This record gives sequence, C-alpha cells and structure tokens, in this order.
Amino acid sequence: MYLKELTEIGGVSGDESRVRDFIASKIKDKVDETHVDKLGNLIALKKGKKNGKRFLLAAHMDEIGFMVTNIEDDGTLSFSPIGGVDPRVVPGKRVKIADKVTGVIGYKAIHLQKKEEIFKVPAFENLRIYIGTDSKEASSKLVNIGDSVVFTTEYREENGRATGKAFDDRAGCSVMMDLIDNIDRYDFDVYFAFLVQEEVGLRGSAVIAEQIQPDVAIVLEGTTAGDNPEVPEYKWATHIGDGPAVTFMHRGYVVSSKVVQNIMSIAQKNGIPYQAKRRTAGGTDAARLAGTWRGVPSGVISVPSRYIHSPVSMIDLNDYHNTVGLVEKILDEGEVFFK
Amino acid sequence: MDIKKILVELSNTDGPSGYEEAVLQKIEKLIAPYVDRTWRNSMSTLIAEKRGNGKGKLGVFAHADEVGFVISKIEEDGFARIEVTGGIDPKVSMAQRVKIYTRDGATSGVIGFLAPHLQKEEDRKSMPHPDNIFADISCSEKRIRVGDVSVPDVEACEINSKISGKALDNRSGCASLIWAAKMLQKIRNEWDLYFIFSSEEEIAGPGARTIAYELNLDKAIVVDVTHANEKVPGYPLIKLGEGPVLTVGPMVDKSFKDKISEICSRNGLKTQIEPAPIHSGTDADEVQITRIGISTTVVSIPLLFMHSPVETVDPKDVEETARLIAVVAAEMEV
Amino acid sequence: MIETIRKLAEAYGPSGREEDVHRIVLEELKNHIDGYKFDRVGNLIVWKDGKSGKKVMLDAHSDEIGLVVTNIDKNGFLRVETVGGVPPHPYVGQRVKFPQCTGIVYVEGETSQDMKKNFSNLSFDVMYVDIGASSYEEAQKVAPIGTFGVYDSRFMQNGDFLTSKAMDDRVGCAVVIEVLKRLNSPNNTVYCSFSTQEEIGLMGARVAGYDIMPEACIAIDVTASSDTPKAFKRHAMVLKKGPAIKVKDRASISDRKIVDKLIELAEESGIPYQMEVLTMGGTNAAAFQATASGIASATVSIPTRYVHTPSETVHLDDIKNCVNLLIEYVQKGV
Repeated sequence: MYLKELTEIGGVSGDESRVRDFIASKIKDKVDETHVDKLGNLIALKKGKKNGKRFLLAAHMDEIGFMVTNIEDDGTLSFSPIGGVDPRVVPGKRVKIADKVTGVIGYKAIHLQKKEEIFKVPAFENLRIYIGTDSKEASSKLVNIGDSVVFTTEYREENGRATGKAFDDRAGCSVMMDLIDNIDRYDFDVYFAFLVQEEVGLRGSAVIAEQIQPDVAIVLEGTTAGDNPEVPEYKWATHIGDGPAVTFMHRGYVVSSKVVQNIMSIAQKNGIPYQAKRRTAGGTDAARLAGTWRGVPSGVISVPSRYIHSPVSMIDLNDYHNTVGLVEKILDEGEVFFK
Repeated sequence: MDIKKILVELSNTDGPSGYEEAVLQKIEKLIAPYVDRTWRNSMSTLIAEKRGNGKGKLGVFAHADEVGFVISKIEEDGFARIEVTGGIDPKVSMAQRVKIYTRDGATSGVIGFLAPHLQKEEDRKSMPHPDNIFADISCSEKRIRVGDVSVPDVEACEINSKISGKALDNRSGCASLIWAAKMLQKIRNEWDLYFIFSSEEEIAGPGARTIAYELNLDKAIVVDVTHANEKVPGYPLIKLGEGPVLTVGPMVDKSFKDKISEICSRNGLKTQIEPAPIHSGTDADEVQITRIGISTTVVSIPLLFMHSPVETVDPKDVEETARLIAVVAAEMEV
Repeated sequence: MIETIRKLAEAYGPSGREEDVHRIVLEELKNHIDGYKFDRVGNLIVWKDGKSGKKVMLDAHSDEIGLVVTNIDKNGFLRVETVGGVPPHPYVGQRVKFPQCTGIVYVEGETSQDMKKNFSNLSFDVMYVDIGASSYEEAQKVAPIGTFGVYDSRFMQNGDFLTSKAMDDRVGCAVVIEVLKRLNSPNNTVYCSFSTQEEIGLMGARVAGYDIMPEACIAIDVTASSDTPKAFKRHAMVLKKGPAIKVKDRASISDRKIVDKLIELAEESGIPYQMEVLTMGGTNAAAFQATASGIASATVSIPTRYVHTPSETVHLDDIKNCVNLLIEYVQKGV
C-alpha cells in the first residue's frame, strides 16, 4: 500500500510530475513497458500471454489545489482554485508552493471581525498566501505566477481508518500499484493508466482511448461518501466501511449494464462486500473513455472517502483492501468483460 | 499593406460563428502570396501551409468567427426577435444598428431602445432580458427570415494609433498569422507550418479540434485575444501595448511555453503572463486533448472591451505576436 | 407509420437501457436494410448500400429521459434522481414504469407550510416513489438501487395530433425507419444511427460516426413549439408548418451548406418547411461535428409541444414532410 507516500506528494492538475516520478520508480521493474504520453499520463503495460484483448485500469494522479495567480506588492500571493475547492475549507491552512516554499493562508482574527463577517463565506479573491516576505521583489525570488499550491496534510492511520489529503484519487493510484506488485500474467494485455488533469475536466483521459484502444476499462476512484450526521441517510452517496462502491450512472454517462453486472457478480461470487454508489452527481474519466475514439465500455469502482476536495479526507482501510481484492478478482475473470 | 490596414479590413468583414466564409476568403487572398498552398477542409476551416524541413508539424491557430446575432422569430409589423451567437452583454447591444444577412444579400435593422420619457421607473433599474430585446427590421427592403445572421453595423477606425472596431476578437489573431507568414518570407522556418483559420470558437464549436485531428500536429500555438487594462483582483494587470501574453495553466505544455519565453527574450521580444488555473477559454482547451494529445500553448493579444462593437487593439501588439510566431517557427528545434 | 410511432414511443428505453427500442427498430427494418451492427457503446447502426460511393448519415437517439433509483427506505419507498436533467414538475402524481414494477411519484411534507415550500421549490430531494412495497427488502427485489424508470404513459391520437411520452426522440427513430423503408436502391449509401445516451450529454453520438465518417450527417430530433397560449416568445417553431431546419441551438450551428441544400430541395419539391433558431438545448449534431476530423452536420426537427413531459405532442403532417425532405436529401444532398 502506497497511500502514505502518494498522498503526501503534491500534484495539482497540470503539475503531476512528482506523483508520476514516484509511481514510475516503483512500478517500472514490475511491468513490461512504461511510457509517458504527450499530456503527461503514465501508461504501464503488463503483456498478455495471448495477443489480442486489452483491459485498461485507470486512476488519476492529480489532486485539487491552487495556482499562484499574482504576487502582490506586500509580498503575499493571490491564488485561484484548480478543480472544485470550497473556499470555506481554505482559511487557516498550511500550503506548499511549487514543492518548495511553505506558506499559510491566514484570515483576519475573530476579534477584528464584525459580527456579520464571521459567517460570511470567504472569497478566493480576498484570500492571500503569506510566505514570510514583505515585498513583491522578495516573493518573486521564491515563487512564480503559475506555480501550483497544495495542502500539506500528513497521512495517518488509526482505528482502521486512514486520514490524509488527496484520497481522490491517490487511493485509485495506490490500488493500481498494489495490483502491479502482485500481478499475474493474463491471457489479455493489462494496461495501467495513471492520468493527469482529471479535476479540470477529465482531460488526461481524453487522449487515452485513441492511444491504447482498450476493449474495456475500469476507472478506480476515491469517491464521495456523505455519511455524516448532518446529511439524511437517503442522501448519502456511499457509506464508508460498506465496501467498494460500484457506479451505475454519473454525470454524462450511464455505465454499461454488462460491466456493472459483471463487477457485482464477481464481488458476490468471491464474497467481497460492495455497495452501489447512490448519487449520480459528479463525473469520472469513464465518461471520457466511453465518449472518445470508438468508445470504450467503462466501469467505475471507488474507495468511499469522506470530505474529499478538502485538506483532510477519510477512508476505511477495509474498503481500500476490498477494492484491491475486487479488482484482482476482476482481472482473474477478465475474459467475461470481452464477451 | 500595413498591419493597420489588415486589421481594419478584417474587422469590417462580417463572419459570425458558422458563417465565416467572407472572412476566410479575405484572409486567403492576404496570406496566399506568402505560403506554399491554401485549402479548406470538410468543416470549412482555412489552412495555409508553409513547408519547413518536413520533420515536425506546428499548427498556429486563430479563429476567424466573431460574436453576433441570429434572427429567431419574425414578429408582425416589422419586428424580429434575436438570439445571440456567443456571449454578448446586452449593455453593448442596445440602440445598435445591425447588418442582417438575408438570402438576397445584406440589409439593416435596429436593436431598438425605448425613449426615457416613456420608461417606467422600475424598468430603469436593470438591463432588458434577452427575451425582451427586439430588432426593428421595418427599415429593410429585403425579406428577413428566421436563421438570418447579423452583426453590429460598425466600421473600424484609428484612435491615436490604436485600432477600434468589432470582431478584433479574433481578427487581430488572424492578422498576426498573416503578418507572421509575411515575415517568414525572409526567414526559413524549420517547422512545417500550418496557419489555421478556424470556425465557431465563440460557441465552443468543433472548428479547431477537428483540423487539429486531421493534421495530426506535433505542436500547436493558439492565438487569441485577452482582456487588457482591466485589473482583476488576484490577477496581474495585462497592458495594451506591452506585447503578447503567454498563458500558464493545465492546457499549456509548460516546457513549450518556457521555450517560447526563452526564444522571445533572446529576440528582445517583450511578453506578459496570464494565469489560467482551469480553462483558458480558447480553442487550446480542446486542441490539447485531440487524438493522443498535442503539445499546446496559448498566445494572446491584449484587447479592450471584448465582445463589444468597440473592441480595441494596439497594432504593435499584433506585430509583436506575429514576430513571436515567426521566431518560434524559425528558431525552435524540431 | 402511426403504429410504428406508437410502438416506439411506448417502449421502455431510458438512457443506457435502449435495448427494447433497438429490438423494435430492427423488427421494423427487417428486409429494408443491407446490414446492421451494435458498436462498443451500444449504438445501433444500420445501413443501406448506394452506388455513388458517397456516404450520408441520419441519426435519431433511441433513449428517453427518466429516473433512476438511488435509495430505498425501510418502508420500501424509493428515492430517485433524474436521468437527463429534466425538472421534476411533470412527475408529481405521475406513474413511473420500472422494468419489474410501476410506481407513483409524489412530494413529501409534514406540515402544510412544508408542502407549500416543497411544491414551490420542487426537487427530487423532497420527492419519493411508492411502488407498493412495505419494506426495504421487498422494494430491493423489484427495483434495486440503479434501476431506471420512465413515464408510464400511453400513446394517444387526436386527429392528426399524436401524443405520448418519449416522442423525443422515438418520432425521430420512426422518421428514419420510414426513410429507409421508402428508399429503394438509394443513390448514396445511407448509414443510420439509433444512438444511445443522448439525453445525458450526447454520449453515444460522440463515437457513432467515428468509423463511418460520412460526407454529411443529419440529426433528427424534436424541438420546442411556440403555438400554445403564451408560449416562448423568441421561438418561431409551430406544429403543422413542416419540419424545422435548424440554424442554431445552444450546442451547435448547423453546417451552412447542408442548411442551404435542405432549403433548396424543399423548395424544389414543394415540401413545407420552417426555419429554426432554438435558444436552448442541443442535439447529436454537435457530437457528430466534433468527431475526429469533423463530420459536416445539421439538425432537422419535428416541432413538439410539451417536450420532456408524459404528453409530448407532434403532428403527423410534420412527420410525413420530414420523411419526404430527408429522402430528397439522402438521394441528392451530397
């Protein structure tokens, strides 16, 4: 399991190189080929015994974060979100800029705020990152406009749960790396695509179908949970601890019923717990894979994660291990997906 | 012909999204002397090819369409309802004479606005909704039908050496490509160059992405315009007259952009920078993710009052953008 | 033809679950086509060989809007979300058909204030479906999470007005079937796609044209009609005036050459037609235009009252004239 290393690396959409380098270094001796494509996707191949069908597993390397958009006269940095970040989770957080400079996102002390200000939603255009300098010149030596900004949460495990940042979608990346560690050689080719730019519009996956021309794809995600006391149960998307979540539909794509059926019956047959994802909001790279080239029938299996797109999210480690187990069984019985 | 003349001529030619033919014909005439061949593809995109050493394909994109209107319904008594093509602020459309292209040729209409004497107090507080806007076509002798396209009826002019008119988004970009082709008469380009004048950018249409697919490009430079002299909180101020603007963001190949920056500074070419955290709002967003991916960068010309009949550019910025394209085509290693 | 429309419109086929519709289409087309295939995302593609060597494509989407079960409570009531982004209003008190059961949709509320609030801010968050189950287990057996439902609505004929759910776009499917039935030895090879998942974002059509790359493609779909009391005032389309040749909607601008050709052919053959500018919506034409190096595409619409309700209403004359126009086009258009 590579969750600790993976989630502690910064890799905002468009700046995934450090995540990619880490993954590449760990997998390159365990697969037959790896290459980085023009957009920065890392693609690994475990060749099949027979030439022919292609099974694609995909997870995205990028995480939500920010971009430095201006260096102000007082040395602070203006920034804008990359991907969907709620401004209410941002004040009072420590961040890292361009993987080297530490900064903090402060906010006017409660003593100095008017009563009505306290419950006002902060606006990104009014927030600044302080990096310990007091002039534009000083800051300009340390950072550039366009640099990426990430949260700096450390990974932790306790009581069967893991907390940390970027489980969306380093959980999926880690699942794929675990699979690579123990992978058998199948009759069919297995491609692993570690994708860029999912959080800014499913962009990395847009160039995958044409390159790999897979017969089927399964996208591995860290998906929303929503199972907290402020949300009525019927609005939960998933419940952590109930097993990997299988998506039947999300924004822009109804998952092929054959793929859903196959996933569910493999889970049932092998006694692996799973749950249907119960909300249809949000999209994944499956929509892109299904809608580019000749179309790739694509499924989605996710590790349910609470509080994603924030500096600290939470998963149940059993869900994680069950996801690895389920995808392993899916590969073992991969032939059913080609029928 | 100088750059100002090209800008004026292209601004005065009408080509709302999907109806760019007149603009493309004009551009073809202007660029043809400087390139090896020109042609149209199935999507009516104009391509001008200037061969290099045959080792790599660089596409330079500029969209040829402009924002405009289209007649959506003919009312009785000489009025019509309109729909916008692309994002137009009602504030810059009121009380505007428009040209309408009928099947029998161009004619006039007026987007009317009620005199203050007759307005109700509460109506003065907001702009009319698009549903309540109309074109008065009673001044037209020609028959206007649903689907006829329309643009503001304005002529470009020079203001203290700047050019002001409609459609400079993105005829300025088109002009810079023509000008770059002209400069490259004297410089040999390493890259096989494709100057691409595409359609329907203003409605996020398929023009640029389809030709990018067809040509199977190695690299792409998307030339468009960006907001100048408008301080957006948290963003650097982009200034008119200070040179082309390079975008940083996920749609841009950073190493390609850095290479362009380096070539520019070597050639004494001043550039500005514009961060685009998610989308650039240009054809680059789609071009980058075409086929197996294309190494893409965005170069923008500073422009005032975007999507209005008085868009304004500094011809120096257009020339410098042309120079940028030329030096990149000549000096960047294939 | 009316019987074909009835069968198609009453069939169950929400996005992603179009198998029943495809089965009916194939039954209807038996002996009228030269071949068919299902592509990798479930689109049904049929063809009829021509002699000119040119290819022309027609598209009608086979899916319809619907609901999907997202939760079941302990008393067996279902919670649902929309498939196709349709507002919940038409569902209040409406019956919904799932493959193994039928349910009634209604609105929750513990007080009269609640009810008032929930009705005025209607959303699926405050709605449930009653399928006559009394426990989670009972409901889970017949309508497990992930089950798709559609309006339970019967076909009705009022003179030449035809009413049903899913006229969007089964009427388009019926038009394409009729064109194929009436085409004896076509001039151009005709490909027809009965595309999947249009309602959730033109999903199927994004890939349906990839291997075919025809000279032209026409999407046949429904459009809004403004001939009812206080109907949308910027729209010109009405029933009984013939098929609507679309110029623009919010997703695409029809290929100008195809539009001109359709007008020319309609006028030559005396087929009534109307022009369309729709200020909302989109059709599969947008997806075909963006396929690979681009497929020149347009939309021809059947004006329809009450789109996305259980009572979508069309007029037989428009359907017949649409068939006539499309036969002219596939024979002479490219």
